[in-house]
Amino acid sequence: MASTACFMIVSKNDIPIYEAEVGTVPKKEDAAHQHQFILHAALDIVQDMAWTTSAMFLKAIDRFNDLVVSVYVTAG
Amino acid sequence: MADPANTKLGRMLLDEITPAVMVLRTPLVEESCRKNGLSLIEMLTPYCNFNNIDVPVRTADQPYRLRRFKLRLFYASEIRQPNIEAAKERLKQVITHAGDRDISKLSSDPPDIQSLIATSEQEFVPSWFQDFNKELVDAVSFSEHEAFDHPVACLVAVSSKDKDPIDKFVDLFNANQLPSLLNDGAMDPKILKYFLLIHDNQDGLVEKATGILSEMRNAFGANDCRLLCINSSADGAEEHQESPWASYKNGTSRNKQFGCFLNVDDIEELRNTMHDLSSKHIIPHMELKIRVLNQQVSATRKGFRNQIKNLWWRKGKEDTPENPDGSTYTFSSTESQIRVLGDYAFMLRDYELALSNYRLISTDYKLDKAWKYYAGVQEMMGLAYFMLDQSRKDSEYCMENAFTTYLKMGSSGGWNATRCGIWWAEMLKARDQFKDAAGVYCRISGEESLHSAVMLEQASYCFLFSTPTMLRKYGFHIVLSGDLYMKYDQIKHAIRTYRSALSVFKGTTWNHISDHVHFHIGKWYAFLGMSDEGIKHVLEVLACGHQSKATQELFLREFFRIIEETGKTFEVMRLQLPVINFPLMKVVFEDHRTYASPTAASAKESLWQSLEEDIIPSHSVMKTNWLESQPKVLPKKYKESNVCVAGEAIKVDISLKNPLQIPISISNVSLICKHSAEYDDTESDANGHLIDYQNNEELRTAVSVSGDFSLETSLFTLSEVDISMRGGETILVQLTVTPKIEGSLKIVGVRWKLSGSVVGVCNFQSDIVRKKVAKGKRKPKQSVKDNLQFLVIKSLPRLEGVIHDLPTTVCAGDLRRLTLELRNPSKISVKNLKMRISHPRFLNVAAQEVMNSEFPSCLEKQASSSQSCSQVDDGKAANSVFVFPETVASSCEAPLRWPLWFRAAASGSISLYITIYYEMEDGSSVITYRTLRMHYNLEVLPSLEVSFQTSRSPSRLQEFLVRMDVINKTASESFQVHQLSCVGDQWELALLQPIDSVMPLKFLMAGQALSYFFKLKNHRTRGSTEDNISSLATSGRADVSLLDSDSTGLFDASIPPLNLFHHQERVHQERHKQGHGSTVDFILISKSWSDSSAGLPRTTEVFSHHTCHCRIASNSPIWWLMDGPRSVSHDFAAAAFCEINLSMTIYNNSEDAVSVRISTFDSTPSVNLVNPGASGSGDEVGWHHTSNPSEAKVTSPDVTGTRVVKALPTESVSPFIWSGSSSTRVNLKPLTSIEVPLQISVFSPGTFDLSNYSLHWNLVLSSGNEGGRENDSRVSSGTCKGHSYHITVLQKE
Repeated sequence: MASTACFMIVSKNDIPIYEAEVGTVPKKEDAAHQHQFILHAALDIVQDMAWTTSAMFLKAIDRFNDLVVSVYVTAG
Repeated sequence: MADPANTKLGRMLLDEITPAVMVLRTPLVEESCRKNGLSLIEMLTPYCNFNNIDVPVRTADQPYRLRRFKLRLFYASEIRQPNIEAAKERLKQVITHAGDRDISKLSSDPPDIQSLIATSEQEFVPSWFQDFNKELVDAVSFSEHEAFDHPVACLVAVSSKDKDPIDKFVDLFNANQLPSLLNDGAMDPKILKYFLLIHDNQDGLVEKATGILSEMRNAFGANDCRLLCINSSADGAEEHQESPWASYKNGTSRNKQFGCFLNVDDIEELRNTMHDLSSKHIIPHMELKIRVLNQQVSATRKGFRNQIKNLWWRKGKEDTPENPDGSTYTFSSTESQIRVLGDYAFMLRDYELALSNYRLISTDYKLDKAWKYYAGVQEMMGLAYFMLDQSRKDSEYCMENAFTTYLKMGSSGGWNATRCGIWWAEMLKARDQFKDAAGVYCRISGEESLHSAVMLEQASYCFLFSTPTMLRKYGFHIVLSGDLYMKYDQIKHAIRTYRSALSVFKGTTWNHISDHVHFHIGKWYAFLGMSDEGIKHVLEVLACGHQSKATQELFLREFFRIIEETGKTFEVMRLQLPVINFPLMKVVFEDHRTYASPTAASAKESLWQSLEEDIIPSHSVMKTNWLESQPKVLPKKYKESNVCVAGEAIKVDISLKNPLQIPISISNVSLICKHSAEYDDTESDANGHLIDYQNNEELRTAVSVSGDFSLETSLFTLSEVDISMRGGETILVQLTVTPKIEGSLKIVGVRWKLSGSVVGVCNFQSDIVRKKVAKGKRKPKQSVKDNLQFLVIKSLPRLEGVIHDLPTTVCAGDLRRLTLELRNPSKISVKNLKMRISHPRFLNVAAQEVMNSEFPSCLEKQASSSQSCSQVDDGKAANSVFVFPETVASSCEAPLRWPLWFRAAASGSISLYITIYYEMEDGSSVITYRTLRMHYNLEVLPSLEVSFQTSRSPSRLQEFLVRMDVINKTASESFQVHQLSCVGDQWELALLQPIDSVMPLKFLMAGQALSYFFKLKNHRTRGSTEDNISSLATSGRADVSLLDSDSTGLFDASIPPLNLFHHQERVHQERHKQGHGSTVDFILISKSWSDSSAGLPRTTEVFSHHTCHCRIASNSPIWWLMDGPRSVSHDFAAAAFCEINLSMTIYNNSEDAVSVRISTFDSTPSVNLVNPGASGSGDEVGWHHTSNPSEAKVTSPDVTGTRVVKALPTESVSPFIWSGSSSTRVNLKPLTSIEVPLQISVFSPGTFDLSNYSLHWNLVLSSGNEGGRENDSRVSSGTCKGHSYHITVLQKE
């Protein structure tokens, strides 16, 4: 099954540092901004979650349709 | 939490879940009402809302009083399930209407995000949401599974004009147009009836009506009939202070006066009628019904026994199929009755009772799998919990249950689910659970439809108002809703939502997001015809280097399409196509400094300044000149500004970068300048004829620009450049502005035209200032760029200079004659020309006569040469400022030509800087002098590598052997080694071997190496030494032709340019003098050699290689030579030993007196063989050991001195001894020689090496010398080992 994924590293103050579209689905034109929207919106959830748990890997904290967002929060 | 009834949901429920009244009327009734512009229901509606009805109610146990009450009136025809399509259409109308209303706000700026958070919900959320939600809820009214929409009573209205009014009453109710709810058995057809006789006072007297009323009372009962008189006002001009109908009939024309025939009495009558209906009929009726039903339910369902029975009975039907529509529940079924009981109780605010009944029925419906009924009951349970302000968890659970159940039913439950969701979300919002509410809204919008867009928008507001604020979610969802709006052609709403999103994403570095938002909003604006707004947004996405190529093309195409649609030429501040790279911007202007070429301008200013240091007048002098020549003192601010000359171009280098992957074409790139004629521009009056671009307007149409342009051309001219840039390309563009008249000029910015349609404008000053704020560290670097203000002074002469034929690539040693040409195009002549060259090693000024002579033959030695020893003046050569003679003061047109000597002194890259100073003949200007700066870069390739090695001749004093190694380092060139010259009077140079035997080929191929051997003689005598040490004059004896044996065609190394360059080389190759030996300088002259068979004969190029300061002697100041017989015959039989007399000649080569001690020692072995290979280091190519050891052994004195082979073990006494004194001391005056006699005694025949002696020398410094000379590095004493001297003693026969 073809799958799509987007990997991003975001620094302090929401500044995206690295972005990579991975997955086997042929690249769609609107995938890039859609993924950015989803990941950007998920930061709201991350912001809340990061202080409530000691875990660094926050699995599936947000979803949009069939796209699931998982986050790894770095220390410090 | 506040009182649930006062929350938004509470008010909504009190409005929506109220008793419904079915209205039946005859057409005549309607006609009477129409006179007032109202229908019957519209007329009655304002009086159905009671805020303080104060009716006592007793439903179950405790009586309570009902304060607020409301009736909903419906015509019989309206009481049916609304058509889904019609409902959708109505929803769309609401949205479109709202969109049109908001259009005025679209062009304003989006609010700042901080202020957005601060605004309250009421202000921010569009008000039409309320109406929209109501429409959505109404879309599922009159469902058979809910009893609260079922009419509680029926209002039958007949006009007094109707014939047979009593029959009409009966007919109206019996007619089969009654709603299906009543007919199909979903509700009880036995309904409370209220008979109303409407009398229009305009139609006649009320007596007739009262007659009918009494008839009615007889027929239908006294209490249920009433007479209502309306239209009492005769003239129809009744004014109402507050029109009670206005709020109910919004949307239609406001100017129409409603109720114009209704006077105060009529209105009082209306109010009383409705109050009577409510309090005396409907409420008691409901009360009664509740009590009756409650008793029934208690009897059949309450209690343990009934429950068991019910359960058992239901169990029996467990295998029944799913029963979604619940058609089995007629009004008489227990389930329906319980539901009616619950709803009536809910409507009368007895939520406890309602809840208990809902709970009772809920399990039944569930067991019956009547899902719609079940969901409806769950929904009501949730609302009842809410109104009771009890367990939040229960209410949420019920709502969720209802919602999912409705969804599970599929499409039929969709609208119900929506309504349920809206109530649920409102419930959560009332409890400040905004985040959860947002989730609910998102769930409602699950399927794509227009109302989903509204739901998403509401969800986004919930994110905004949740704590903590979830701005990013807000942005995302509002963009999603915008997309949906767009999908359903609600473009205005789409823009509105995207604009809200803009404030969230403003300044974000998530480039795909901001591109998406800006691009779409721009596109939509353009679609609506608001091109200005559209362009503003599309501009933001133009420089999208991160996007894919297709997207970039799309953006650009869309941009041009919008521009095209407008049909205007836009001028855009900060157009991002192309990007201007400000750090690379460079302004080149010429004040007193002028540049011959762009590369000269790019050289460092400090370099020029150091070069010009000596030739330009000092700053203070210059200033006084200013004041003298310029009576009007310049305003202070212009002292800081740059000075430029009218008619001379100011060049600005701008680096443009195309950020896209697709090519763009840029045309008409030019500077924007501002010229004012006044020196003291007071900013206000001078601006009349100027273009002022200072206003930071982002966008404006460039209509007026062409008009201004013609005016500009009289003041200054601008260059225009057209370029086309490939994807990602960076181009350096040079733009010029040439001021034409005096005044002040300011470079404001740059403008260009993108693809012939959009004018981009970039304002330098503001952009630079902005940059500077960003990074203050770079401040000091921008001194030139900071000041784009120029003072234009009247035109001055400006010399143009060029050096002709200066090669860019040249082999080292290449000697050429070049021509400097200076041209003065102006009328005013210049004077006092001076020139300075940065690298005199490479470039030197020649005498003007050289111009006319032939090169290189002019270098050749003239037969009749007067041997005038032209010496290079040390001071002049070092300073190297060349002053042109006064006679050549350059004036109009006739170019000045001056020869220059060029020699590629060293290999590598070299930058030559030449500065020429000149003064104006006309001294009235601000600038009295100017400098012309020329700059040339050249690449010097290695050619011949020459090295010299000298050693003292072992046989003669004052004579040296010289070995010259020449290696051709070029890749392909061949050279003809022409001559070797030795600089200095005292030297005499001769080849050791005839030239033909050394070099049969006559030229040196690429990569070839050759060695030459020379004999060098020193003629220095005591008398001539002192003054000639720096003399470069060579006698003929110092030149050796390496080409053929005769000495014709030799170059003269003592005339310019060879002596000039030789001097430079001497200075350059200066090394620290150490030791006492004198040095010698060699000049090797070669020519380029080309195979004559190869075709064109090339012009011969002359190469000279200078090697200076070759040391010719050892560290010791003394030279000595052993002299004596080489072979002796002696009859050892006759005498036991043979005495041999020798003499040693010692020469003091130094400037000081030397004391020498000669020590002999016998212990060292006599047979000390000198290693034959010790002389050379072995890596020389082409060198071979010459056959005559006494003549040609080239041994460096240093080498032999240190290389004494260690003594072999001696087994016997030495075969000879030194006789005479073992130590002799002599004193030598400077440059004198002395002969010391020595003697040895030999005991047996053989060959002996007399090297076992040593010389110790001491400098005897005179007392006068000692103080003055602090040459510490000079060695004042030393020891020299003896040279080997072989003597053969033979037995005489």
